[in-house]
Amino acid sequence: MLRVEGVVKSFDDFLAVNEAHLLVQKGEIVAVIGPNGAGKTTLFNLITGQLRRDRGRILFQGEDISELPPYEVCRRGLGRSFQIVNVFHRLTVFDNVQVAVLSHQKKSNTLFHPAGSLAVVETRSLLESVGLADKGRRIVGSLSHGDQKILEIAVALGNNPEMLILDEPTAGMSPEETAATIDLIRHLAKTRGLTILFCEHDMEIVFSISHKIMVMHQGRTLLQGTPEEVRNDPQVQSAYLGGTDA
Amino acid sequence: MGIITVLTNGFKKIGHSNWGWLLIGMFILLFLMPPFIPRFFVYILGLIYVTSLLAMSLNFLVGFGGMFQFHHAVFYGVGAYTVALILTKTSLPPWVGFVAGPVAAGLVGLLIGWFCVRLTQLYFGMLQISLGSLIWAIVYRWYKFTGGDDGIHGIPMPQVLSSLNQAYYFILILLVVSLVLLYSILKSPFGSTLQAIRDNPQRCAAVGVNVRRHQLRAIGIGTFFAGIAGVLFVVLEKSVFPDLLFWTLSLEVFIMCLLGGWFTFGGPILGAAITVALRTFVGKYTEYWTLILGVILILLIFFLPEGVMGYFVEKFKFRGNSGNERGTA
Amino acid sequence: MGFLPNIGPAEVLSQLLVGLSRAMILFTVCSGLSFVLGVLRVPNIAHGSLYMIGAFATFSLSKWIGGSAGFWLALLLAPLVVALISLIAERALFCHLYQREHLMLLLFTFALALILGDLTKIVWGAEYRSVSAPDLLKGSVSLLGASFPRYNLFLIFVGLAVAVALWLFVNRTKIGKVSRAAAVDRDMVGLMGINVSWVFAIAFVIGCCLAGLGGALVAPTVSITLGMDHTLIIEAFLIVTIGGLGNMWGALVGSLIFGVTQSLGVLVFPQFAIVFPYAAVVIVLLLRPKGLLKSVW
Repeated sequence: MLRVEGVVKSFDDFLAVNEAHLLVQKGEIVAVIGPNGAGKTTLFNLITGQLRRDRGRILFQGEDISELPPYEVCRRGLGRSFQIVNVFHRLTVFDNVQVAVLSHQKKSNTLFHPAGSLAVVETRSLLESVGLADKGRRIVGSLSHGDQKILEIAVALGNNPEMLILDEPTAGMSPEETAATIDLIRHLAKTRGLTILFCEHDMEIVFSISHKIMVMHQGRTLLQGTPEEVRNDPQVQSAYLGGTDA
Repeated sequence: MGIITVLTNGFKKIGHSNWGWLLIGMFILLFLMPPFIPRFFVYILGLIYVTSLLAMSLNFLVGFGGMFQFHHAVFYGVGAYTVALILTKTSLPPWVGFVAGPVAAGLVGLLIGWFCVRLTQLYFGMLQISLGSLIWAIVYRWYKFTGGDDGIHGIPMPQVLSSLNQAYYFILILLVVSLVLLYSILKSPFGSTLQAIRDNPQRCAAVGVNVRRHQLRAIGIGTFFAGIAGVLFVVLEKSVFPDLLFWTLSLEVFIMCLLGGWFTFGGPILGAAITVALRTFVGKYTEYWTLILGVILILLIFFLPEGVMGYFVEKFKFRGNSGNERGTA
Repeated sequence: MGFLPNIGPAEVLSQLLVGLSRAMILFTVCSGLSFVLGVLRVPNIAHGSLYMIGAFATFSLSKWIGGSAGFWLALLLAPLVVALISLIAERALFCHLYQREHLMLLLFTFALALILGDLTKIVWGAEYRSVSAPDLLKGSVSLLGASFPRYNLFLIFVGLAVAVALWLFVNRTKIGKVSRAAAVDRDMVGLMGINVSWVFAIAFVIGCCLAGLGGALVAPTVSITLGMDHTLIIEAFLIVTIGGLGNMWGALVGSLIFGVTQSLGVLVFPQFAIVFPYAAVVIVLLLRPKGLLKSVW
């Protein structure tokens, strides 16, 4: 479904991503791991179009999306959540998700119809599926950090994507929230047939739910394989797994 | 037609809520006032309405769109000059001028906007200031066509608008219609997407919104309404001058939005009313109104950055949950 | 059309010089604006008012001291007066806003501009004032068949001196280097133990002082009026924008473009001479929206 081939990206003189490869099959849950600064978020930004790669190709469902701007990438069916909470902080929870749903329904430009009566069913069901239905009317600024991260995922789902890219979805969460979120992700993947690409620092999570793991180190792909293969690989062990996460 | 349904829906909605009855009551009161109050107050109220519409059109772009619209007065001036020129230099029927004003303002807005949306924030603002100043410079110097420094005075109005009271009614009606339209636009999907862009343009792009095009559309709308305000100014004053296009007016309108509260719908109206009223009455006692405006601005920056209305909205939020819904437009 | 019947090389040269000297005044003012913009990241709207105060102060000082020496002393003292005013404004009010968002800083400078504008009216009244150039600089010299006012040559010389002085300041003095660092990364400078607030204060005062100097320099060449601040600040903003935000050499380039296009425009289309520099700005910005030279940030 998603294929990243030999992507390179540098900022001025700093080589952030250096020959990264990634292959995600439909329906898989794939994790990208690596120490801080390994280039994971840069890679995600390159895939979703926030950054332009210097070299290499990014193919999504057979189509070359390397040159597309973020909104086009999204319209192709690739949704994304961000590492730092990135929502619409002056709007309500309901409005946040609704904006995404309306965009998906291509109704963002409707001028003279009250938004309150459009896409209500879809938005509500989305909020229910992530467990935020009762907080629909609250302004995002008043939510807890964990709830905001879940809202991130809900917004990304608003476009009914085929594949979801989650950048550190449990960062800053308590252990209970983390477990709940992971369950949620697994559940969503199953019920919506989503393909999921994510990155995390918590190795337990990574090894427990991923089908495949891609290891990055200093911008390059060390290895991509099943959890077993990754755990036993000597290169990975010396570079990364030897200690706890950075 | 969409707009008619919207207006009827809008008025129906107003009729159903408590706020609605209050607003209708106010409107009726204001409409009936002219025969009972001195001419001067009728004039001041008319000026407040015109300025309110201008401030609202700016806040549409700044408070709800998050754009650095630093030279909004240009579009106001374009609207005013268009109708003035059509009424004085051509023999076209007056209503052509009235329609041409906002249309011209909107077109100029789209033209300037097309260049500006490719940039962010400060660069957006600076480019707009430079493009706007170019237009000002041309109007200021083209004595033969625009009257240059002197402007154009004694613009003839159609019979039905010739007296002050008639002008007042016309302006008030158009203000209300414009406000209803702006409100519905803000409540529509277009409006919520616009506010989402204000809060987080990057996230909006990531959910499939073509941010630039959306902003450009919003600019077209905001400048169109500024053009309407310009036309209404001419109806009231029957003259135009280059100051309408000068950057100081743009910043003054900015201050009105700040004063009233730029994240609320009615804030700019309050800001405009306070500013015009203060300017008129302070002007009777001293010629140093600018000094006072500056002091007020400093007080606002230090003590009331959310504006008068914003301050009250915050207060209501903590009083009860019902405030949460009114936190946004 | 507005073509003058006899534009020969002498006229062009003469206008070129006028444009250059005007550009030097603009550069003096805009380098200050650029400097403040670079370090504080805020366009100082009050810059025009400070320029105006510089001009009025030059008038009063030179009248009070009297004679030719009056002008020279005024040239020295007026910028200092302006610097003092800006220091008071900065320490009393402005510095408390450094943690706020940039829009608030911008609005503060607007408020300051409004207040200073009216204060100028209160102190000096609404009449036109004028200052005459000192005896040394009166009259003109003849060069290459055209006559050049001595004062304009003086302005060019001063402009170059300002450029050199600024270069030395930013690159050779400790304060200058720290300011440059703060422009790029203020947090880093703070972490190095330097009081960022004082860096800002110094940058602001120096920038405003340059505005005052510009006002003092322009005083003998124009009538000193109350609208000076408004016209100047727009021009200064545009110059700084086309030069590249915060870039002082950009301010020089921008000033040259502005000054020369206006003075040459007088030859081509005198009624619309004022439009030429604005048009030039628009063209530059359409081609290079972020300015000709690299912005400091």
